[in-house]
Amino acid sequence: MSDIEQPAGELWGREGFREDPYVTAQTLEEAGDAPAVILPLGAWLGLTEETRNASNRKIGVLVAPGESIEPLLPILDSIPVIALQFPAFNDGRSYSKAELIKNQHHFKGELRAVGDVLIDQVAYMLRTGFDTMKVNHAVTLNRLAGHNLHDVPGYYQPGRGSHTVSGTYSWRRVPGA
Amino acid sequence: MYRYDEFDHAFVSARVEQFKDQVERRLAGELTEEQFRPLRLMNGVYLQLHAYMLRVAVPYGTLSSRQMHKLAHIARRYDRGYGHFTTRQNIQYNWPALKDIPAVLDELASVEMHALQTSGNCIRNVTADHFAGAAADEVGDPRPYAEILRQWSSMHPEFSYLPRKFKIAVTGADRDRAAIQVHDIGLHLKKNEAGELGFAVYVGGGQGRTPMVAKKIRDFLPVEDLLTYTTAIVRVYNLNGRRDNKYKARIKILVHETGTEEITRQIEAEWQAIKETDLKLPQQDVDAIDTYFAPPNLVQRPEGWSGLAAARKADHAFSAWVDQNVTPHKNPDYGVVTISLKPIGGIPGDATDAQMDLVADIAEKFSYDEIRVSHEQNLVLPHVAIADLRIVYDLLLTDGLATANAGLITDIISCPGLDYCALATARSIPVAQRISERFGDPERQADIGELKLKISGCINACGHHHVGHIGILGVEKKGEELYQISLGGSGDEICTIGDITGRGFSSEEIVDAIETIVDRYLEIRTDKEETFLATYRRVGAAPFKDALYSEVANAA
Repeated sequence: MSDIEQPAGELWGREGFREDPYVTAQTLEEAGDAPAVILPLGAWLGLTEETRNASNRKIGVLVAPGESIEPLLPILDSIPVIALQFPAFNDGRSYSKAELIKNQHHFKGELRAVGDVLIDQVAYMLRTGFDTMKVNHAVTLNRLAGHNLHDVPGYYQPGRGSHTVSGTYSWRRVPGA
Repeated sequence: MYRYDEFDHAFVSARVEQFKDQVERRLAGELTEEQFRPLRLMNGVYLQLHAYMLRVAVPYGTLSSRQMHKLAHIARRYDRGYGHFTTRQNIQYNWPALKDIPAVLDELASVEMHALQTSGNCIRNVTADHFAGAAADEVGDPRPYAEILRQWSSMHPEFSYLPRKFKIAVTGADRDRAAIQVHDIGLHLKKNEAGELGFAVYVGGGQGRTPMVAKKIRDFLPVEDLLTYTTAIVRVYNLNGRRDNKYKARIKILVHETGTEEITRQIEAEWQAIKETDLKLPQQDVDAIDTYFAPPNLVQRPEGWSGLAAARKADHAFSAWVDQNVTPHKNPDYGVVTISLKPIGGIPGDATDAQMDLVADIAEKFSYDEIRVSHEQNLVLPHVAIADLRIVYDLLLTDGLATANAGLITDIISCPGLDYCALATARSIPVAQRISERFGDPERQADIGELKLKISGCINACGHHHVGHIGILGVEKKGEELYQISLGGSGDEICTIGDITGRGFSSEEIVDAIETIVDRYLEIRTDKEETFLATYRRVGAAPFKDALYSEVANAA
């Protein structure tokens, strides 16, 4: 099919695929001199404020479903990317965290889903506030490349990437900015 | 009742198209059963012991004649000529071929029905009082709120992968006919001192292997806050509910382990943050949904009363049916008719295609086109003129639907058990059938009076045995089926979990054991007005245990 774009990388967002500028590492040392790094929450919280805000590199944070986002909330402005983990597709905790981070606490940086990202969940992720998904599942890659999001024509809840329609109930939305 | 608009139609059609594609890929071998599993579950398709099973949602138990005719047609064309009404006000088909299921979903969509969210770890079909909109004791119709919740919970992006399934029930009267205190969220529609409608909110009830009565966390929640407050509850659960053990994953365990006070604090804190967001309900939207549930324009039929007296005098069986199966309606010229799906010796909740068609025809002519499914696995005609009771009874009689046992000992709730279910550890239907036959004599069961007997074929408690006045739980022990009895459970507004009597009984012994309990009750009740439950609450378990374990031991 001609409309299938070749994935330029594993990072997918509404605009399509792109290269992931970030490397994932357990510690800053392990990342070497990479200009953009994602560290696990524990390691990230262990950094000094000065290191986190250093202008020569971006340091994002990876949060597992069982970890609390509370310590991040007061300092969201200083985080370039928050990656929320989906170790299994059926662990839905990160959807609620996305809601809290993006919609309640107005995080301006990139919110990323990593882990078991399946095509049936992509539309949900976008609606709860994820900007990007790190995808390695072959079927999901194919479907995303074909712009097939498995979505529905209307939503029964407010959410990102949708707008209200006049003449119907306040909770309903249709896709689109 | 609620009617789909274009938005709803487009949504359901899109879902059917997606499932068609998935079934085709499965049948072509492109999807393994394992990959197909989560996809089919989202559409209500289970793999049971012998075949796929399709569970169709009947939102808050309300059906039109047209919808019931369609359910009959599906039973006839795609199944073996019957369907099974469940304790969640749904209907299950036990024998559809996988290749036919997309066609069945198409047929359902044509009458504004679907099988979405009848399975999976999401917010399930919202249930309500089966007498909603008709009962004389109602404060307000709970169905508009159930419909708002149904819409809001459909394919909810945040709440489709909860720790476990999530069930919400709504009732609109002080008398709780929807068992709200054994639901994840129970909502009791009521009025405050200013006469405004709102809800008492209960959280953390449930049955299964750890039965718990819900905790009231708010005495009055204004209607406008329904969705924000529900969101707060489900969000706290989604974030904190246990995912390490599926048997500890329901919200009842979270409420229990966190403590009612602390969980309430967390919910209220979350609610404060979202209270004024887009989910706050505008009154005009509530009113618009409410309009769909406006009571039918009931014609005055005062002539019914004089005719009824004569008809009752002339026919004892009819009179017994009126006593047992007709409940007061808001309009004194009308009654609410319970159609028992518990014929003596039959399978609780089963209806044939012909019976479904008959009920649909009767409803069209005599009940303003409305039918309800009750969580007690019966059907209800909500608006029948007293003047039409005789003819409705005669019509029901033609196909075995006039059993006068609503609320009596043979009105048994039973799960499908080992005859169908892949989870079951014991048979429940045959036990229900034998108990029904033992107590089938109309005069005997009328004398015993109100007695809710409920049977589950495994610890998951789909047969609601924990809240049966008499509950029976079938378990498997050393290759034998063993039946444990509990007493004193109740799913109404004074909700209690039954107490286990002691060692279980074999399949051969269980019916005698139930009879022993009933006989003891008849001996010790103060008078006929004192129900089994009232007697149990007065005397406790001891007299029943004595009867059970001395007599049965002696007989053995």
